[in-house]
Amino acid sequence: MGKAYVITSGKGGVGKTTSSANIGTALAMLGKKVCLMDLDIGLRNLDVVLGLDNRIMYDIVDVASGRASLGQALVKDKRFDDLLYLLPAAQNTDKTALTQDQVVQIVNEIKPDFDYVLIDCPAGIEQGFMNAIAGADSAIIVTTPEISAVRDADRVVGLLEQHPLQEEPHLIINRIRTHMMKDGSVMDVDEITHHLGVELLGIVFDDDAVITTSNQGEPVVLQADNPAGQGYRDIARRLEGESVPLMQMTDEVHPSFWKKIGNWFKKG
Amino acid sequence: MQDAAVLKGTNDGYEIILDDEADLGDIYTSLRSLLEKLRTQTASTHPQPISFDIQTGLRLLSAGNRSEIEKIFSDFQLFSVHKITSDVMTKEESNRILDQETVHVVDRIIRNGQEVHVQGDVVFLGIIHEGGKLFVGGNIYVLGDVHGVIQAGFPDLEDKMIIGDVHNAQQVRIGEQYEILDDTNQKITENSVVYVNDLHVLDYGKVEDLKQINPKFFNQIGGVING
Repeated sequence: MGKAYVITSGKGGVGKTTSSANIGTALAMLGKKVCLMDLDIGLRNLDVVLGLDNRIMYDIVDVASGRASLGQALVKDKRFDDLLYLLPAAQNTDKTALTQDQVVQIVNEIKPDFDYVLIDCPAGIEQGFMNAIAGADSAIIVTTPEISAVRDADRVVGLLEQHPLQEEPHLIINRIRTHMMKDGSVMDVDEITHHLGVELLGIVFDDDAVITTSNQGEPVVLQADNPAGQGYRDIARRLEGESVPLMQMTDEVHPSFWKKIGNWFKKG
Repeated sequence: MQDAAVLKGTNDGYEIILDDEADLGDIYTSLRSLLEKLRTQTASTHPQPISFDIQTGLRLLSAGNRSEIEKIFSDFQLFSVHKITSDVMTKEESNRILDQETVHVVDRIIRNGQEVHVQGDVVFLGIIHEGGKLFVGGNIYVLGDVHGVIQAGFPDLEDKMIIGDVHNAQQVRIGEQYEILDDTNQKITENSVVYVNDLHVLDYGKVEDLKQINPKFFNQIGGVING
């Protein structure tokens, strides 16, 4: 019996979908059977980030309304032999097309066959959010070091306290820019974790490759030496119960100006 | 006064003509008495069931009227209704047929998440963005740009075709057959004919070979009648 995690943030654009795709992929790389569920109905993206958009035949609303079976709607990622599946969101309806009961029913149907069910939550705290948390056993809250994102994450933690899940929520701090955190222009990891009072699951550095890989439909975790990918791989290992030290904020991530110049001479 | 229900023999069997100017009540009573008469006249040691065609002339029967007639017939064990036909049809039905036999020109952008449904054949001049869907009852002639999902013969007609450049599409579907083009990119060129072959599998051919692929269609181009 698998465990269902909802990946949520409150604020839009902090990397819920990217995190869902990458954590799911990283877990599949560890040999776990993962089902990603896109609940961002009307504005689905998870399929695009995974490069599975052209394989969609049916979606979650078709499953909920009985037009298609779960097996018909699940899209298999061919890169991972039978390990990674996507249940796409519908596009031409809105978030009211699903009820909490339907989501719970679908998640319960998926769980026995998978190790992990990752539910990609839509931005906001309306019905779409309520639907997404209804089926989950635990939550992964994604935030960035921006005050506005932390505020919204705080609001979401509050809502999760009102509707408690089986397990305490986890926190991911995404899009960390080392130099800004170092010079104190944004909140640092400890401050955010302490402020929200949520257990830290991992940190992910900001990296251009996250965008380029998303454009290519190949999650960044597939790149062995990418720091953002490393962050997601560490998160997957922690979900598996391993104890992995937090990545250090070294200048290696973004080589400084002088170092870059130094590198030119080395090459020469 | 003439009877409101009259029996007539045709090559195919028996037809009952219901007078389209008579009152419906008269028709029911007249039909019942006609059937009574027939029952006594056809009574024999080896009775055989008879199925009647009913012709209603210039009158269009509602579902309620039809079930009333079925009810009368249900009182007669050996008699049944084969079909009820009429010389007229509703505007809705005639528009549907018109739609189905027209070649529609679709010239618009179908964006992500939009679904466009068209009955009949389509000449597509627009653009289907990734995630957009065009569902057509008949054939599709693509002159525009397709990056989304395109289906001919919606929902389940396999004798339809897609002609033109769909090599950038995400999926092509005909009837219930579909292909995700990621898997088969090499087979499809810029002037392909996509069709369902005799093994009920999506296949690709060249426009030049249309005569071999679907001779009937080839002979009819310009005025295709949808099945």
